[in-house]
Amino acid sequence: MSRMLVAPAPRGGLVRLTWMSRVTLVLTAVAGLAAFAWPLIIPPTWDLPATQAPLVFAVVLPFVLAVVLSELGSSGMDAKSLAMLGVMTAVGAALRPLGAGTAGLELVFFPMIVAGRVFGPGFGFAMGNLSLFASAILTGGVGPWLPYQMVASGFVGFFAGLLPPAGRRWELVLLGAYGALASFAYGWLMDFAFWPFGVGSHTQFSFDPAAGALENIHTFVLYNIATSMGWNLGRAVTTVLMIAVMGGPLLSILRRSVRKAHFVPATG
Amino acid sequence: MIVFDRVSFTYDGAARPTLRDVDLRIGEGDLALVVGRTGTGKSTLLGAMNGLVPHFTGGTLSGAVTVDGRTTSQHRPKDMAEVVGYVGQNPLHGFVTDTVEEEIAYGMEQLGVDPVAMRKRVEETLDLMGIAELRRRPLLDLSGGQQQRVAIASVLAAQPRVLVLDEPTSALDPTAAQDVLAALTTLVHEVGLTIVLAEHRLERVMQAADVAVWVTGDGTVESGPPRSILGRADVVPPLAALAHTLGWDEVPLSVREARRRIARERITVAEVADAPVPDGPPLLSARDLTVSYGDLRAVKGVSLDLAGGTITALMGRNGSGKSSLVNALQGAVKSTGELVVAGDVDPRSLSAAAARRRVTLVPQSAGDLLYLRTVAAECAQADRESLAPAGTCATVLARLDGGVRPDADPRDLSEGQRLSLVLAIQLTAAPPVVLLDEPTRGLDYRMKANLSRIVDGLAADGACVVVVTHDVEFAAAATHRALLMAEGEIVADGTTREVCGSSPAFAPQLAKVFAPQPIMSVREVVVT
Amino acid sequence: MVAADRTVPLTPRPTLARPADQILHPWAWWAWALGVAIAVNLTTNPLFLVLVGLALLAVILLRRSDAPWARSISAYFWLAGVVIGVRMFFRILVGGGFGETVLFTLPEIPLPDWAQGIRLGGDVTLEGILYTLYDSLRLVVMLVAVAAANALANPRRALRAVPAALHDISVSVVIALSVAPQLVESAFRVRTARRLRGGRARGLDAVKAYLVPILADAVDRSVSLAASMEARGFGRTRTTSRRRTWTNALLLVSSMVATLGGFLLLSSSGDPGPVAFGCLGAGALGVVAGLRASRDKIAVTRYRPDPWGIQEWTVTVSGLLVLAIVLALGNESVWALFGATLDPDVLNPSFMPATWPSLHPALVVAAALTALPILVTRAPGRTPPATRRGDAAATGRTGIADPGARRPDEELVTS
Repeated sequence: MSRMLVAPAPRGGLVRLTWMSRVTLVLTAVAGLAAFAWPLIIPPTWDLPATQAPLVFAVVLPFVLAVVLSELGSSGMDAKSLAMLGVMTAVGAALRPLGAGTAGLELVFFPMIVAGRVFGPGFGFAMGNLSLFASAILTGGVGPWLPYQMVASGFVGFFAGLLPPAGRRWELVLLGAYGALASFAYGWLMDFAFWPFGVGSHTQFSFDPAAGALENIHTFVLYNIATSMGWNLGRAVTTVLMIAVMGGPLLSILRRSVRKAHFVPATG
Repeated sequence: MIVFDRVSFTYDGAARPTLRDVDLRIGEGDLALVVGRTGTGKSTLLGAMNGLVPHFTGGTLSGAVTVDGRTTSQHRPKDMAEVVGYVGQNPLHGFVTDTVEEEIAYGMEQLGVDPVAMRKRVEETLDLMGIAELRRRPLLDLSGGQQQRVAIASVLAAQPRVLVLDEPTSALDPTAAQDVLAALTTLVHEVGLTIVLAEHRLERVMQAADVAVWVTGDGTVESGPPRSILGRADVVPPLAALAHTLGWDEVPLSVREARRRIARERITVAEVADAPVPDGPPLLSARDLTVSYGDLRAVKGVSLDLAGGTITALMGRNGSGKSSLVNALQGAVKSTGELVVAGDVDPRSLSAAAARRRVTLVPQSAGDLLYLRTVAAECAQADRESLAPAGTCATVLARLDGGVRPDADPRDLSEGQRLSLVLAIQLTAAPPVVLLDEPTRGLDYRMKANLSRIVDGLAADGACVVVVTHDVEFAAAATHRALLMAEGEIVADGTTREVCGSSPAFAPQLAKVFAPQPIMSVREVVVT
Repeated sequence: MVAADRTVPLTPRPTLARPADQILHPWAWWAWALGVAIAVNLTTNPLFLVLVGLALLAVILLRRSDAPWARSISAYFWLAGVVIGVRMFFRILVGGGFGETVLFTLPEIPLPDWAQGIRLGGDVTLEGILYTLYDSLRLVVMLVAVAAANALANPRRALRAVPAALHDISVSVVIALSVAPQLVESAFRVRTARRLRGGRARGLDAVKAYLVPILADAVDRSVSLAASMEARGFGRTRTTSRRRTWTNALLLVSSMVATLGGFLLLSSSGDPGPVAFGCLGAGALGVVAGLRASRDKIAVTRYRPDPWGIQEWTVTVSGLLVLAIVLALGNESVWALFGATLDPDVLNPSFMPATWPSLHPALVVAAALTALPILVTRAPGRTPPATRRGDAAATGRTGIADPGARRPDEELVTS
């Protein structure tokens, strides 16, 4: 019995991915990557203050997000999927303030990863997105950082839904390892995009458009180790711990709901 | 209006059908009362009326359910919305938005009703349910009765012809329940709606019913005039028990009917002796106990002594401080004043584990205590928590309810089984003081009788039991002493007979039937 | 239903009635705040920044309600303080001797080889400090603008006004917003329950005992919620056909164009030129048009939709005007119209050498426009002037600032 493989999601997930939503997701990924990695694409002769760049994408990303979310929504989510999405989003949004103010104690990734695993990549993306959105609304924290957080956490949930099948015990190991990786990736991406915001220009830890990409990455790594390492590490540790302790129970609660609620693929 | 034509329904993976060959007709403008024991399929029957069964729940339905000319096989629940309004068990779990007005408008928004017409209908519905003054309030701040009325209003706004309600009053205190039922009778009599209502506590509703539908338990359904159906059904409200005792073939549906027939037949009953309240040194005593949440004082300087071997009912409106009081007696919420248990200890000064061996409390939402995967794991954990020898909890559980499988998921248990499990977990520590907060919610008459037996057993072993309850019939039948709370204070204290017999809101039906004789339960009816 | 004769008199056009707790359409607040935020971001003139900051503060303090989202501004001020603090810290610690007027000198500590190029300490210059101060001030005022939108716009009502294409997703957010507080409530309940069970579970096991009941409850709740939604006709008015291909194509292409615009804006050196802005604008418009075009697929209606009237236009335009003024001051051809040449010191005063900045009159106008919402909106919770069109509904709402004094029952009469 222990060799039984656990499939990641019921019939391709609660949120069906049509080719159209796949295309929009890829586009979101491209736009997101550009938004996060802008320090690498800026030409050396760039003369606006470097803090402008994240704001450009803070304006562009909401439009891309609107398109991808409307696409996920229009490919037929029934009342059950929406209610589950709403309730799981509430779980994420309610857990988030618990960690606020405590260095790196970030609980929001754990439900996102487990739900992405059980309900599929589309659900994971939507839940990652909306958890951050809902918590920003609840705490009045809507700002230029929000589109970035939404894109990044959306993909945290998305890739959780794409993890390969695994046996019961290995499943938690897999989710834990992914959780650690995703926590760091999320932290680094956010730090990288908002790096000039944090330190400003013209210090030795600052982004310098005239320097090459490699040199900037080097500066960033030093800056990041000096400042955010603790946060990123804390986020990874809490996520792994939560998955280790609560992953099993939450997986079984969600899988039980799949069994009991008879999710059927939407028609139309 | 509602026609079931040879309907059978089986849940996926179930061994036998939940509904079997059901033929049922409910006429337009009727109030139909669905009765039956817990777990017999009342909710399934109700769900089949708007197509939630099988469209939403899965499973296989054969035969045809037709409501106002629409068959559920061709219409999904959402297409039945303006024919059948469905209100689930817990109104709070069905709310989509967070204020009264928006919740009422929500259904109409989904149906694409024109904003001008919608505005008008919301106003009409607010008036009809008498909740206009609540319109801007957050749903979370409302009392249970108000929430239930908002839930009804939110389906009425779509102007359905039929209203289906699954136990709308099970969580309400008697007065709030009366409000909801009054609103429902208005809908039947003034608006001409057809209402189908499932209920456990039939005392108050049966007089308004035109039809009774008995879900027998083997999948079949019997329907007919309430007087005769209730005479045969295995759910026995007090007046039906009285009819059985007196050998009447028809059940009187109201206190008035019963009184008239008794007068007509010149039935007199023997004087009842006041049940002796066991007296003794108090096991638990509190002096000037006060509980405050911020500015709100939920319990105001309550003093009381509870002796071993007594069963005490704690009654009062929702929000009168009953739950706060029992929580304070356990030490689970902060309180000021004196509190002594078993002669010498203050449970508030003890660790949680030690306090639990002195005073135990089964909270209102018993499921909050459960977090493990199987019943067996919960029992083993309870043994460790109580420092009891392994197997104690399982033994207690077997005594309370033999039907609970050790490998079952606690969340899959029925209401009654879950209560038994939590009770077993809490009794593993063998505490001298046992507090039960609303244990009868969702229990049918047989389960309540079972609970009453368990509680009697605890008292016989010398424990002191306090039962917080809205259920006056249960209190009358199962307790010796009654405390009545209002606004954080104890306003009446005495034998259950004195306290309940004299209060119009808390008097059991038989006391009203035989007034001035304070008969509490059918056991006391001895014809002379 | 037959209760028609009991209803209160209705306004001829009830949809125009402004809800009593609403002083302005939430999207108008956001448009205004975003206009100001972007404008602020294009300048480092400290005098202008301080003026705009004060104007924003005035609007916040005079127009915010006591709603939960309005209480978040202190967090923004805290964040603003952190921004200045962190930047000053880095300036002083690793400033790297940018500028000439040395204020004081810290001992230098060279870092090991792998951190080549980084020296701690060294000269701290007036230019460096001024630069950091101006730049952080810009960021702080931008944060205040964002805080203003957060404090003033009711997010739930903003959600109600999303395009139809986002309706389903917005339902999930609405559910999340109403369920989250209930989860917090059940968390308190479960905490008491832990004590009742003896609280024997320690450490990580206690986390499990605490979270499992809450999560199981939440998941069960989603099923009854879905049943209730379904029974009330949710999803009823969706056409079964898929969204039209051209709408899909429009959305996809537009979001690509917008992204491309972002790229161009960033990768062009010097003046980004009209192509980048054109792409951004066209992409944004295309997305909005595509989302609106999807409306025929979902025919849901809105109960008491928020009106968009003259006040909303005024507030939106005032925010955009602030942006336009700042943009114009940075554009050579606009200066040429007035027969002058572009003076870069107007928007970005020179700090090398450090001079006292000047304030162009147009910037004073822009700062004044920022405060315009005070004039065109009324304070929440006060009786509005009787002259306000069609707004008798608000008369009853006298006590927003004090929840205890709320008398919502007085709102029955809608003029």
